[in-house]
Amino acid sequence: MLTISHLKKRFGQRTILEDIDLTVHQGDVITLIGPSGSGKTTFLRIITTLEQADGGHIQFAGIDKDFADLTKRDIQTIRRNVGFVFQNYNLFNNKTVLQNVTEGLIVAQKRSKAAAKAIAVSALAKVGLADFQDYYPSQLSGGQAQRVGIARAIALNPKVIFFDEPTSALDPELVTDVLQVMRQLAAEGMTMVVITHQMSFARDVSNQVIFMADGHVIEKGQPSQLFTTPKVSRTKQFLAEILATV
Amino acid sequence: MKELSLILQFVQQILPAIWITLLISVISIGIGTIFGFLLAWGKMSRLKSVRWLTSIYVSVIRATPAIIMIFIVYYGLPFLFKGWFHLNIEGWQRMYFVIIALTLLFSAPVAEIMRSAYLAVPKGQQEAGLLVGMTKFQVFYRILLPQAFVIALPNFANSVINLLKEGALTFTIGVVDMVAKAQMIVSNNSGGFAFETYGALALIYWVISLAIDKFVSSAEKAYRRKRQTIDGSREAV
Ligand SMILES: Nc1ncnc2c1ncn2[C@@H]1O[C@H](COP(=O)(O)OP(=O)(O)OP(=O)(O)O)[C@@H](O)[C@H]1O
Ligand SMILES: [Mg+2]
Repeated sequence: MLTISHLKKRFGQRTILEDIDLTVHQGDVITLIGPSGSGKTTFLRIITTLEQADGGHIQFAGIDKDFADLTKRDIQTIRRNVGFVFQNYNLFNNKTVLQNVTEGLIVAQKRSKAAAKAIAVSALAKVGLADFQDYYPSQLSGGQAQRVGIARAIALNPKVIFFDEPTSALDPELVTDVLQVMRQLAAEGMTMVVITHQMSFARDVSNQVIFMADGHVIEKGQPSQLFTTPKVSRTKQFLAEILATV
Repeated sequence: MKELSLILQFVQQILPAIWITLLISVISIGIGTIFGFLLAWGKMSRLKSVRWLTSIYVSVIRATPAIIMIFIVYYGLPFLFKGWFHLNIEGWQRMYFVIIALTLLFSAPVAEIMRSAYLAVPKGQQEAGLLVGMTKFQVFYRILLPQAFVIALPNFANSVINLLKEGALTFTIGVVDMVAKAQMIVSNNSGGFAFETYGALALIYWVISLAIDKFVSSAEKAYRRKRQTIDGSREAV
């Protein structure tokens, strides 16, 4: 459903991503793990067109092209078929919770206000925020804000949702609610690609784990394999470090 | 108390000229705002030459005292028009020159205010907007602009009050505004009651700025109140 091949990215002289491949099937939950600065965020930002690639190919939503050849129209197509949940929420501060969710439905998908509202209300109910429709982002806790971010993404019914460390800006006691929502989405068959440091989520929920370091994919596999018998010493070392700190 | 009633009497005499002051201000503010908006856009342009030109323009205008700007426009513009377009604009109403001068003066600080307000809006929202499928313009218009507007409001009000004060130099090229009117009153009284007359004038300016301040702060409050109508209880976390 989504295939990325030979993706390259440089910032100035520095190579940030080198020859990255990714295949996502319908219903996959893929987690991306790796040390800080390994290029995980940049990777998702390129796939979602927030950043330009320096090489590579994308197959998605009827597009089958090198990144360099993407037209404005292709970019719009990609944007309208993905959802993105940001580390720091990025809610629209001048809009209510409900409007945050309906905005894309009304403005981009051209749905009627009533239809948009119905979709938004059910998306908000799904993330447990049915009673918060009229709140503004400044009135929400981090956990609530992030769940609005998730509702905003799922309401658009994207082919795949990308999550960039959705819980890392949250106080520990708020993490569970957000992870719970994500587990439920996964159980419903939503296709998701998730950058996370929550190893329990990676282990329990994803069907593939990708370990990145220094702009390379070091190892990928099923969580049962990768977490118990990593093949590469670099992976072993990373897992030992991260599991020790949790 | 006699002073006070005299001042009020002069207020009454000056007041009919207020519409000249207001007309000049309102038009200059209107056009100057649009102009300032375009300049702010130019200052953030991707093209270096555009950024460079607008920056020079803004810094020159900001450094020009109002009285000099009014003189430059009043004496310089007809000269330029004759030279460039062979047009004689000396017959224009003097008010037009003041409006042009004040518009130029107003556009520079407004450009700065708009640019910094725009930069103060967290830009992650722009990316979020693009990824819900909105176009860049839709994101700008629906998400970023309304937030920048609220941020800009207090400084914008300051600039409006400054413009109003700079407009008090209008009389220097012979437009009969409130200041000119006050001068006439003083000279009709052979220089008598100057204190009361100019006091009356200051009073009028004071009331106008108060009104502007009041209007802006209630606009701001209304905006914030909208955000606080919901009791911030956070039970169901
Ligand atoms: N806009 C940019 N300009 C220059 N360098 C950048 C830019 N964005 C990211 N980088 C660099 O690219 C590298 C990868 O960054 P990225 O944010 O993708 O890492 P990450 O794996 O998401 O890290 P983290 O776990 O800390 O979020 C880093 O070294 C970063 O400094
Ligand atoms: Mg990151």
